[in-house]
Amino acid sequence: MGSRGVANMILSRASRMKAKLQSSLEASLLEIEDVSHQHAGHAAMKGNTAGETHFNVKIVSPKFDGLNLVKRHRLVYDALSEELQSGLHALSIVAKTPQEEGAAAKK
Amino acid sequence: MARLLSNTILKGISRASQSPRIVPASFNHVKLRFSTTIPNDPDSHADFQPNNKAVNESGSCSGINIKELVDKDVKEHPIVIYMKGYPDLPQCGFSALAVRVLKQYNVPITARNILEYPDLRTGVKAYSNWPTFPQIFIKGEFIGGSDIIMNMHQTGELKEKLQDIAGKEESE
Repeated sequence: MGSRGVANMILSRASRMKAKLQSSLEASLLEIEDVSHQHAGHAAMKGNTAGETHFNVKIVSPKFDGLNLVKRHRLVYDALSEELQSGLHALSIVAKTPQEEGAAAKK
Repeated sequence: MARLLSNTILKGISRASQSPRIVPASFNHVKLRFSTTIPNDPDSHADFQPNNKAVNESGSCSGINIKELVDKDVKEHPIVIYMKGYPDLPQCGFSALAVRVLKQYNVPITARNILEYPDLRTGVKAYSNWPTFPQIFIKGEFIGGSDIIMNMHQTGELKEKLQDIAGKEESE
């Protein structure tokens, strides 16, 4: 695969993730950052040359209201289950409700 | 290369063994093997040695039995972390972070290296229905991964949860 092919894949994973999270969680704020390069050397990634394996995700959604962190993260993982099965390796997730995000912004 | 890797792992184990609060082994028989004996063939990396003993002892390798094993594991030990690498030699930044947080509480940590046990990796995922590692269990309850443990650390929730465990020695 040429470098252009890899670049296309990087774009498509991030944008697919964005679309899936947006539609299933009705996110009012959604930030996705590809941090795969920070993990490129680690043991579990040996032999994985596809890139786009690690992402930071910040998501604000009214659907998180009343849910603890485990349940919130499960919603995110559920929305991304296909990606997780096709090479997405790890997510760092910040999941907040609009109220919590508002309170944090005022501080 | 294999020798180098094997030596690195052995060093990691012996270093981990010096820390009394950390149970470094993935399963007991591994701790025994690594801490008391040197493999006859240093080129034989741990990955290539029979590594399903713990699973086989409980029956077959079917997913159900591994799940039972995980269930037993998390209920027998106050804090279990399924991670990549060992507490003193983590092989992933998220696992390293989770261990660092837990270590601040002076609690007995039981750590399992899922990189060494592909079956365990599958079994834990199925047990918790959680796709990534590390995974932390406290008193049998699934807590989550590194983001969640970090968050609970910051909010003080973790301190509360670990109050009755802190200071106790792991019985193993």
